[in-house]
Amino acid sequence: MKIAVCIKRVPDSETRVKIAPDGKSLDEAGVKFVLNPYDEFAVEEALQRKEKAGAGEAAVFCLGPAAAQETIRTALAMGADRGVLLQTDRIPADGIETAKALAAELQGGGWDLILFGKMAIDDYNHQVGPMVAELLDLPCVTAVAHLDLEPGKGVAEREIEGGIEVVEFPLPAVLTTDKGLNEPRYPALKGIMAAKKKPLEVKLVKPGQGAIEILAMTPPPERKEGKIVGEGPDAVPELVRLLQVEAKVL
Amino acid sequence: MSVVLAVCEQRNDTLRKTSHEVVTGARRLADALGGPVEAVICGAGAVQGSDQLARFGADKIVTLTSAGFAKYAPEGYARAIADRARAGGYGAVVFAASATGKDLAPRVAAKLGVPLAADVTDVTVEGGAIVATRPAYAGKALLKVRIAAKPAIVSLRPNVFTPVERPKAGTVETAVTAVTAGRVVVREIKAAEAGALDVAEAQIVISGGRGLKEPANFKVIEELARAFGGRAAVGASRAVVDAGWRAHADQVGQTGKTVSPTLYIAVGISGAIQHLAGMRTSKVIVAINKDKDAPIFKVADYGIVGDLFEIVPRLTVEITKLHG
Amino acid sequence: MADAFLPADHQPPLPVERLLLKDGTEGAGDRMELDVLIVGAGPAGLACAIELAKLGKAGGVELNVGVLEKAEALGEHALSGAVVNPRAFRELFPHLKDPDFPFHGRVKKEAVYVLTADGRWRLPTPPTMHNKGFYVASICEIVRWLGARAEELGVNIFTGFPAASLLTKGNAVVGVRTAATGLGRDGQPGPGYTAPNDLTAKVTALAEGTRGQLAQAWCQWQGVASPNPQIFALGVKELWETKRPLDRVIHTMGWPLPNDAFGGSFMYPLEPNLVALGLVVGLDYEDAGLDVHVLLQRLKLHRLFRPYLEGGEMVEWGAKTIPEGGFYALPNRFSGDGVVLLGDAAGFVDVPSLKGIHYAMQSGIFAARAIFPAVKAVDPAARRLAEYDRLVSHSFVGRDLYRTRNMRLAFKDGFVLGAMQAALMTLTRGLFPGWRYTIRADAAKVRRASQSSPGGPGTPGWRPGSAEPPDGKLTFSKVDAVFKSGNATRDTIPTHLIVGKDIAPEVARFYAAMCPAGVYEAVVPLVGAQHAAPLLRINAPNCVDCKATDVVGPRWTPREGGSGPKYKRM
Repeated sequence: MKIAVCIKRVPDSETRVKIAPDGKSLDEAGVKFVLNPYDEFAVEEALQRKEKAGAGEAAVFCLGPAAAQETIRTALAMGADRGVLLQTDRIPADGIETAKALAAELQGGGWDLILFGKMAIDDYNHQVGPMVAELLDLPCVTAVAHLDLEPGKGVAEREIEGGIEVVEFPLPAVLTTDKGLNEPRYPALKGIMAAKKKPLEVKLVKPGQGAIEILAMTPPPERKEGKIVGEGPDAVPELVRLLQVEAKVL
Repeated sequence: MSVVLAVCEQRNDTLRKTSHEVVTGARRLADALGGPVEAVICGAGAVQGSDQLARFGADKIVTLTSAGFAKYAPEGYARAIADRARAGGYGAVVFAASATGKDLAPRVAAKLGVPLAADVTDVTVEGGAIVATRPAYAGKALLKVRIAAKPAIVSLRPNVFTPVERPKAGTVETAVTAVTAGRVVVREIKAAEAGALDVAEAQIVISGGRGLKEPANFKVIEELARAFGGRAAVGASRAVVDAGWRAHADQVGQTGKTVSPTLYIAVGISGAIQHLAGMRTSKVIVAINKDKDAPIFKVADYGIVGDLFEIVPRLTVEITKLHG
Repeated sequence: MADAFLPADHQPPLPVERLLLKDGTEGAGDRMELDVLIVGAGPAGLACAIELAKLGKAGGVELNVGVLEKAEALGEHALSGAVVNPRAFRELFPHLKDPDFPFHGRVKKEAVYVLTADGRWRLPTPPTMHNKGFYVASICEIVRWLGARAEELGVNIFTGFPAASLLTKGNAVVGVRTAATGLGRDGQPGPGYTAPNDLTAKVTALAEGTRGQLAQAWCQWQGVASPNPQIFALGVKELWETKRPLDRVIHTMGWPLPNDAFGGSFMYPLEPNLVALGLVVGLDYEDAGLDVHVLLQRLKLHRLFRPYLEGGEMVEWGAKTIPEGGFYALPNRFSGDGVVLLGDAAGFVDVPSLKGIHYAMQSGIFAARAIFPAVKAVDPAARRLAEYDRLVSHSFVGRDLYRTRNMRLAFKDGFVLGAMQAALMTLTRGLFPGWRYTIRADAAKVRRASQSSPGGPGTPGWRPGSAEPPDGKLTFSKVDAVFKSGNATRDTIPTHLIVGKDIAPEVARFYAAMCPAGVYEAVVPLVGAQHAAPLLRINAPNCVDCKATDVVGPRWTPREGGSGPKYKRM
């Protein structure tokens, strides 16, 4: 199995968001960057599939700054064979530009599977995977939480509102991975050592500007001051009325 | 004049409610642009409830039918919508950021070679350009973005665009398309696994804390949850999970699960930051606590001060009445 | 309930059977061989790694140097004031200039105050406390920067891997075994279980930091004593984004500490509107109700601090102990067969100047210079590594600590007498008093039992209008503080604390008051209508690895990698 995994370097989920002086971006002082958690499922799936097949390759691709080499090393420490950094100082806000840069790199690679996390936890775009599939004209299933592969085809399950969609697709394909697909492994000491010696190719790229421009980044609105409806059980009917009429949640 | 295309969804030939939100959002955008709203649904035949979309502001309702469109067909739907969008010269295409919309919108955007602003919570027109607001960093920041493309494609975060009635003519038509389902085929839709609702997924979460005094008293919370008729899950604070009163899977908080239900009811929970971190994105928060200074009241939308053992059973009665 | 008690009576022994394993003991997964293994990626360990890598490069020898770190990422378990003396940086990086180092502003103004509950007196800055020309810094940033330099030089840094045991062969240390991950609460392997790894090396450098478990076990095993026992202080620190800029380094003494406690506070500007604020208290205080976290909350309400903090936001919180014993608490030797002790693990801290980082780094540099020829000669015997002891003793590290050898110890009998004696010592450059103060270990100091609930009326520093209950804006509960430490320890790991049996109520209260992270709670269960004696409840996942209660009571042991705090800019 020849598998490509596209990964992203993102701020840790516990990051305290502070807005930079430009008013449009994250102040990165003291921010810890990690491998996007949804991409961990993709890396793990690639490793398991390759191990099961007994042969092949799991290669990781990342569009990002020079520091994203560290992110690629994390995937290599987990067990991926090689990495490619498409190095740029600026990741476009427009997902299609990221998709174009990755598609250009993946084109003609002879991949059986191209895996992505279902979304990045920084921009919540959840779009680059299916866009790459369109650009490469490959079948695609998104947010895969369960996967069975047979020669030439696969069956995936994805969670939808109130149910699970069972989806059939031919290979090669692009899949984006969701929580539940697998339990990503921690890099072992030996893996960390080995990762240092694995090939990591750096290619300078200049993704297009795209047609989405960030005008401002702002903190979310403060929750409006709540009210004490009353004291004791006698306040309950009023609470229920407010939940129905004002909050409209009942 | 710019037409706004509202991409609606059906399941089992019936319109999905989220479509009302999509048309509401599209109507808002169309008004700002000064154009009509065209709602489009992919299906195998007539879609029940599609005519309702007129109530929410659709000037025209089109069902694109194909034999392969009974269930969601990612490639077929994307081809059909993209073809229509390309032909119609639309100013904007609006999707729901539902499971289907999240899958479909990027495909359509890529086919048209235009950007997608996903999961938006607001969309307006400023100086002729479409401007969307969307959450980033797990909702810890909002991004305001300008979309300089035609059509501008957005997907709307569910439960944000509350449907507003704006009756329009709503002419209904059916257009048969030659587009087939494509290579990716939805074989079936399985029901979600039965059993207790997970706190991370429930629409309503009722959590208990140390104020319950002992594990057996969680029954008052469970009874309240039952009154909501299977839509509510029972959560717990870290303190009571550590004390072994509840399973770790029920724990809401930084080290437990992060939840954002429509309604969160905190019972006998003081509201340590680590708990708040796990539930503060809930749409509506209700707190019941005997200590009026408890920090939970600072994040709650509604609070009742007093003895939870009197208040919760009364609430159970009232909710049962409502659903009874 | 007893009026007084001796903490040592309730302290379990150091679990040496866990901390020392014969090499080849079953139970390990992978085994890896290195030339030099360094335990702890702090300033000492990383300076040692960097100097070793440089010596290797210069000598044309390819050295395999590995650094184990228990934090999930570099710097996340590092906490310090900190005002840094840059001299060890200059020695380690002779081609770099001060502005290249990961420092914030250079100290231009400083002030020392004695506080009362409502007032303050400014003091002339004591000579040992002069900081002009030094730099305010975040040790987390220093560690991340040093780590990047080490990796550039080819050093392997393994974050998320705590060293749980020393591997021994005869009298020699031959490596360490890491802690397992993925154990369930019952101690049995759960999903995601990874067995411990054995790492062996010609030389193992123990740079575990304050109250290092392996360093203690080695000293005990090899009978390495010190003239005085080591004593510790607990520092609790917060990082604030302020509305009002701070332009100077501030230290205070006096309130809210009781007379029998040694310590003080600090407030440093990292950036004009980013302020580090902390309170450090020696753990030899008498009143068992003393609570450093609560005292820090009260301190912030003082009119010296409040105006800076009001309207600002507390962005990080953390705690750590500091070895304060100084010269006479240093082990008689810092090296043995296959092993050296570095930095805080050895006790290289100068209390009068409130400095340890440059001593830690310098000790790492010296250790590297002794280790390199030993490794090259494949002879890591004690007599070769003893060169490290010689280098330390004949350097400013040894000299500085010797000059101030009695200063902290003079305060064992209270603040006023201590201050007078310390002044004499400064005047005579350490010649006064001409004898060695003998002191007791912190656990061997009798405590006055507290009848009050922790932080309540009657405890030190309490006055009407004190910080209780915390308001969540200026003052914080321990639970909220732990959240701000970034601690997201898995709740289902086995407890890593060894607690004595049948802990008496007054001792339970003592632990509860001392632990800044709320790991220990003295809970009063209701029995009928009567209040029963408090029980000790243990919230182990709260632990931020400060080691305070380890000094006087329950033993801390290494747990799953990546547990504990996640400090960013402490």
